[in-house]
Parts: sequence; structure tokens; C-alpha cells
Amino acid sequence: MLSKIGNVDRRIIYVLLCAVIAIALIKPVGLAIKVSAETKKVYDAIDRLPPGSIVWLGFEFDAGGIPELMPAARAIIRHGFQKDIRFVCGGMWTMAGDMATMAFDAVKKDFPDKQYGVDWVNIGYRPGNTIWLDQMIKDAAAASAGVDSYGNPLADLPLMQEFTGIKDAKMMIIFVTGTPGTPEYIKTVSTPYGIPLAVSTISVEVPGTMPYINSGQVLGGVLGMKGAAEYEVLVNKPGSAVAGMDAQSFAHALIILFIILGNIGYILEKKNSVAK
Amino acid sequence: MSTNPWVWIQAFLTLALFSIIFVDNGFYKFAEHAYVGLYAGYTVVVTWFSYIRPSSQWIFRDHKYHYIIPIIIGLLIYTRYIKGWAWVSRYNMAFMVGVGAGFVLARDFKSLLLDQVRATFKPLFVSGSLLTTINNIVLVVGVVSVMWYFLFTVEKKGTAGTISSIGRVVMMVAFGSAFGNTVMARVSLFLGRLQFLLGDWLKLIQ
Repeated sequence: MLSKIGNVDRRIIYVLLCAVIAIALIKPVGLAIKVSAETKKVYDAIDRLPPGSIVWLGFEFDAGGIPELMPAARAIIRHGFQKDIRFVCGGMWTMAGDMATMAFDAVKKDFPDKQYGVDWVNIGYRPGNTIWLDQMIKDAAAASAGVDSYGNPLADLPLMQEFTGIKDAKMMIIFVTGTPGTPEYIKTVSTPYGIPLAVSTISVEVPGTMPYINSGQVLGGVLGMKGAAEYEVLVNKPGSAVAGMDAQSFAHALIILFIILGNIGYILEKKNSVAK
Repeated sequence: MSTNPWVWIQAFLTLALFSIIFVDNGFYKFAEHAYVGLYAGYTVVVTWFSYIRPSSQWIFRDHKYHYIIPIIIGLLIYTRYIKGWAWVSRYNMAFMVGVGAGFVLARDFKSLLLDQVRATFKPLFVSGSLLTTINNIVLVVGVVSVMWYFLFTVEKKGTAGTISSIGRVVMMVAFGSAFGNTVMARVSLFLGRLQFLLGDWLKLIQ
């Protein structure tokens, strides 16, 4: 019996986890979402930008980052469009172009006056990691082989007349799941050129990102799905992140319960073996 | 339920990948291999259309033939497969290591070391803010004790041992935090897939 408490079959845990998440998604209870200081800093930084400012969006993730980063990207783009901010985006991850397309496609239907090439440009994926990023600072056309993610010449896009490189951006916001990611932007762009950097990251990356936020090298962070949900609340457009918060809270409660049970089982089993 | 065949394919692949939880099976292997193959193909196609093809126009259309030099240096890496010529691939490696080392030395030192060290120089007492005072003390004590833990030339006895133990506890807290965040990320991934299955596929949620 004691060993059973400490060694629950993982399949049972998965089935329970699946059931808890499914129930919470189908019948949400609407737990309160409190906006954290890190998320608010990003929101305020975008809010303070004058209309017409250009912001660089780094889509440094692939399909695995969609559940946590796509809601954040959509909410931030929505906020930017509400403030007449313009975006140029790209990334060092292979799926950068498609991730940016997904994010803008989801938002643009609510902003029919916003046009591609005028209000946003998607440069897409380019190889070369920090070497590419370094070149992007001063000469976006050369770094991007002169075309955007869809093969359009950059010279034909009106926004690119004002954006010759990341140095022309008032701010950078990057969506990251790993390497290349935050440190690459800090050492290549934000520290040498003083361009403010905000980060939206998956939960795994949060412990690695916090030192940069504490040091002021990153101005704020939309951290994990929780951060994305907070941003959705701030822009008053609840989406998949807000919808997932109940499920995530209940899933965490279940995992904590199993951790406690596992520890109780371990302690009881240890005591039992000492007694024998 | 969705009538979109692409959604059904996504749902099948998602369920096939989740099936590994219960038992290793052919559906899982199919989905896994399909993913690896598709991603490799995707990378090649995206790199070709987004960079190699437009870049090659500089050479052939704009007659910038000196761009061929880095291409040749890059191709040298494949000489390692030719017996007797493998040594030539070292030039490629030497080039990459040289550029990489120079880049790291020039950029990493200030932004990833000096600025981080400077961020730990905090006042241990901040008047009017007890929380900031406690935060700063925890930060300074944490950084010093963890660094002390990795000082292997000092015997960890007495006070030295106590500081080292504090460093160990601080690291345990950090590992716990990292584990918690990892769990949160994995639950988010699972949640994302369930949102797709229950929403886009089964239409049980909006």
C-alpha cells in the first residue's frame, strides 16, 4: 500500500491530468487573473511609444512555443495596432516567418485599415544567428537578401524606407523558447545600441530571464501562458491564454497533490524499512 | 466535429504522439518519423527560398562574384568525407572558431558578465521599503554563498561550511523554481493540444 502511494503509474497521472484540464476547459470557473509587474512594464512601455513608432518583433520560436507565445504575440500586436505602432519582424528560428504570419493573420481581421508593407513587414527566418542579428542592426536589406518572408523586394515596401535596420526601432520585443534568444539580443543589440528590449518567453525560460529583468537589461517580461493571459486582460481581448488559466491552475493543483503523495509515500516507506 | 480534413490529420497525429504514454506503437512511430522528416524538409525549403535563392541573385544578377569566396569556405567542410583531403575542412572550422571567439569576446564580456555582476551591487538597507531591503539581502547573500560553494580551494568547515550550505540551499530553491516552471511549460503544451482537440476538432469549446 505504502509503495503504491509513492509509485503511482504515470498513465494514471496522465489520464487524471487530461481529465482535469478537459473539464476546466469545457466548464471554466473564471479564476481571477492578476496582472504582474513584469507584464505591466511591457504594456506601459508600448503604451508610451508615440504613434507611428517602429517596433522590432523577434519571433524566436517554432511550433512547440505556440501555446504560450502565440497568445502573447497576438495580444502585443493588437496593443500596438491600437496605438498605431508599426512592426518589422523576423527571427533566427526556422519557423520565424510562419509564426509571424500566424500572429498577424489572427489580429489583422480586427484592423482592416492596417496594411502589409505599410504597418508591418515580415522579414521571416534568416540563418546566421548573432552574425545575422549584428548585420540586421545597420542594414536590414543586406542581412535579409533584399526580400521579405514572401519573396517581395524590401525596396518595394513603404515601411522599409523608414526601417533600414533594427537601429531604427524604438523598441524590441522578442518571443523566445531557447537559444538563440534573450542573451543574443542583449549582447548584440540592446547593450551596444541601447535599444529597449522586452521579452515574452515560455515558462521554462523564466528562471533564466529573471536575472536580465532584475538587472534592467530587459525592461519587462510577458512570462509564460500566465503572462500572455495577463496581456490579453490588459488589451481587453481574452483569448486562448485566458481560457487556459483555469485548466493550468487545476493541473498544477493536481501535480502538487501527487508531489505531496509521492513524498508521503517515500517517507512512510523509509520509516517502514527502518522499523523492519 | 470539424469537417476540415487538415484538422483531422492534426488530431490523428496529436493522438498518435500521445499514445506513447500508454504503449509504444506503430502510430506513434509513424507520427514521430513524419515530424522529423517534415521538419528537416521544411528547414531546407525555407532556407532555400528565404536566403540561398535571393542571395545567389547578388552573384549572378549583380555580378558580385567575390561572394563566391565564403561559399567556397563553407563547402570546404565537406572535404572531410574525401580521404586525403579531410585536412582542408579545418580551414572552415578555423574560420568559424575565429569569428565566433572574436564575436563572443567582444560582446559577451560586458553584457553577460559585467552588467550582471553590477546588478548584484545592491544596498542592503533601503529606507521606507522593507520588501526591497529583504530582496536585496536575499540577492546578495544568495550570489555570494553560491559562488562560495564553488570555491573548491578552501576547506568547507566552520563558517566556510555554513556559507557553503547556504549556497546549496539557495541552489535548491533555484532548481525548484526551474522545475516548477518546466512543469508549467509542459502543462501549457498539453493544454494547447487539448484546446485544439476539444475546440478545433471536437467543437466542445469555443
